[in-house]
Amino acid sequence: MATFTLPKNSTIQGGKTFKAEPGATNVKAFKIYRWDPDDGAKPRTDTYELDLDKCGPMVLDALIKIKNEVDSTLTFRRSCREGICGSCSMNIDGLNTLACLKPIDEVKGDVRITPLPHLPVVKDLVPDLTQLYAQYRSVEPWLKAATPPPPDEERRQSKEERAKMDGMWECILCFCCSTACPSYWWNGDRFLGPAILLAAYRWISDSRDEATGERLDNLEDPFRLYRCHTIMNCTRTCPKGLNPAEAIGKIKQLMVERQG
Amino acid sequence: MTHIERRSTDILILGSGGAGLLAALHAKSANPELRVTVAVKGLLGKSGCTRMVQGGYNVALAAGDSAERHFMDTLDGGKWLNDQDLAWTLVTEAQTRIRELENRWGCFFDRNPDGTIHQKAFAGQTFDRTVHKGDLTGIEIINRLAEQVWARGIERLEEHRAIALIRSADGARISGVLLLDIRRGGFVFVQAKAVLLGTGGGPTMYKYHTPSGDKSCDGMAMALRAGLELRDMEMVQFHPTGVLAGPGTRMTGTIIEEGLRGAGGYLLDGSGQRFMHNYDPRGERATRDIVSRSMEREIQAGRVNAAGGLWLEMKHLGPEKVAKMFKGMVERCADMGFDLAGDRVPVVPTAHYMMGGVVFRADGSTALPGLFAAGEDTGGVHGANRLGGNGVANSTVFGGLAGDAMARFVPAEGELAPPDEAALDAAMGAALAPFGRRPQPLGPLRDALAALMWDKAGILRDAAGLAEARSGLDALEAELHAAGVADGMRGFNLSWADWLNLESLILISRAIVAAAEARQESRGAHWREDFPHTQDDAAGLHHTLVTLEEGQVRLSWREVAFTRLRPGQSLLTPQAAE
Repeated sequence: MATFTLPKNSTIQGGKTFKAEPGATNVKAFKIYRWDPDDGAKPRTDTYELDLDKCGPMVLDALIKIKNEVDSTLTFRRSCREGICGSCSMNIDGLNTLACLKPIDEVKGDVRITPLPHLPVVKDLVPDLTQLYAQYRSVEPWLKAATPPPPDEERRQSKEERAKMDGMWECILCFCCSTACPSYWWNGDRFLGPAILLAAYRWISDSRDEATGERLDNLEDPFRLYRCHTIMNCTRTCPKGLNPAEAIGKIKQLMVERQG
Repeated sequence: MTHIERRSTDILILGSGGAGLLAALHAKSANPELRVTVAVKGLLGKSGCTRMVQGGYNVALAAGDSAERHFMDTLDGGKWLNDQDLAWTLVTEAQTRIRELENRWGCFFDRNPDGTIHQKAFAGQTFDRTVHKGDLTGIEIINRLAEQVWARGIERLEEHRAIALIRSADGARISGVLLLDIRRGGFVFVQAKAVLLGTGGGPTMYKYHTPSGDKSCDGMAMALRAGLELRDMEMVQFHPTGVLAGPGTRMTGTIIEEGLRGAGGYLLDGSGQRFMHNYDPRGERATRDIVSRSMEREIQAGRVNAAGGLWLEMKHLGPEKVAKMFKGMVERCADMGFDLAGDRVPVVPTAHYMMGGVVFRADGSTALPGLFAAGEDTGGVHGANRLGGNGVANSTVFGGLAGDAMARFVPAEGELAPPDEAALDAAMGAALAPFGRRPQPLGPLRDALAALMWDKAGILRDAAGLAEARSGLDALEAELHAAGVADGMRGFNLSWADWLNLESLILISRAIVAAAEARQESRGAHWREDFPHTQDDAAGLHHTLVTLEEGQVRLSWREVAFTRLRPGQSLLTPQAAE
């Protein structure tokens, strides 16, 4: 008879609680996912109470404060702290976003923080992005043009052609969208997911690029493209206000059009 | 004995900003047989500061502009402290590189109605020559370059931080680099025939600063420890418009771009009065050093807003126009609760860029055979003050040239030289030292460093303050070397990273203070209240040079070689200079 067990490390234990300093009046609890590959223990949720009167306004400020003043073992990625690098993407209060751009006061009640969903965890809030980068590469996100550019000059492009890039070039590859997509959760090994398809459409709509047919061929697949069921979590979660779902819709439209 | 993993490659590149990625692409393109490895403290393309570039890329493209004019602006901005050959390389090679970024690497910059690349106004320049993509130009450049790196067989060591440059056993060349694999918490020694130092500078030792949180002057610190000279370290640029978002937030100090002043933005004191014309006839469009200094004077005179800063105002240009022209900046400010298009934003000058750095040649080579350097780790291109828009031009121009030079160097002169094992052991020992000591929170140390450098070695300097900075740094260094980090988990240990960051920052702060004490004049970004005049260039102009000898910072001087022009001369005819 078949036995069913949960995958390793999929149950999360209760963890330690770090109380706020006595006398703190504006206390908020941060419940944070913790897992260390080296200690052999199951993941746990640690609770950190912070006095918001002594903390900056963003979730990243709180994480840095916890690491600096409460628990030096807490691990997360961060770099630019201004929404440009996409390093500090994580799930905050149920929504994937960037810790540096997420105001603490937007969260009602406790602030629950977990890594981006459905990715292997390196440690605590740090996800392993290897598969996403491999998929990104698979759409060959670079300029393909057999026609050489004019000598000593850029390719002349209209302002309208340049404007077609808007809403796509601003993507910072934080992968909040892909890891918010249920289709990507189920079929992440074969479905490319919204971040990658947005990148693919960026090159399809680049007026300098001459490989549209090849790019569409590469996406014409029941899984790579068509696992998108317009659930729209991607667009809802994007911390940069971009619309990957629209880009995917446009790719599907091009597929229909080219079949005439 | 500490375990160490050993690997080798032909070319090892430290850093994945504009300098590192261009170097990797050029080296691999020049010779696809070469093994090229990029090692970076964070994720490739995500860490560092090129990605954070807002304004854009200076290059003379348009009719009426010229490399000569760009060169003269760069020298005038740099107060003639520039290495003129490097500056000439910058302005001429930028013309090649910008087309390369577009045509070869796939960047798509904003356009003019005739289809050519659009260029906008930036402060301190006599021509509108700043190429851009909206107001977040760095994202475009770094994303395209990173994709090209992924497309090629370039090896990546992500979340590997460089600890030390290791010389060969005979000391004659570089053997490789000791790295810390951050995820595992273990050491890796990568032996290489050529190494590029492209980690970027980043004056994050100041209370208000713009660079990313992972920047800590590691490259310059490693170069000093490896025996190289740093020049003009007193030249730290303060950008006029850092956002003042409150003391507890990392957002404070983040920049809102220069193009806002270029487009006609106003700086206002606490009572809402413009003040820049009291200091400079160009008003808000004066160079960064002058604007920052003027702002600091207003702040010290107490003419501040409730947040303790000044105001930036754009709404007289029309809120809708501002929202369209500076979409990224308007959103950035909105993220922090400010309305840039229709209201005022509190601002304060913020430490932005280091003009000083490793002495290098135009092909990236340094005094240590096999070691190349490019980007903000280097000094000399910008002299005493960098023009906005010359930073990303610098990193991409010299990164590319260094990549070409390394591809030539490796087959001709490169060798995998055995390392100085004693130096390797010593470097690992130094990095592990904090684990043997009682753990201590490092946040207060970092805060003390930031306050000390801001107050005593910041925008307005004098002998007494700099002496206090010097002794304060000695005390902080002693404190750091007594401070421990909790052992037990070394993989992804952020506190260990903090400790290593602080060690680099304190060393480079000492270099800045030593050079600032020595330069008894005011020039460019370096302002001495006790020596408010600029020395007469006819009497000779000198670079400061800092080296490290037995743990002590030593200062010396080298005369500036006016290889093309003497101060006061121009490449432009009087007519063209109009």
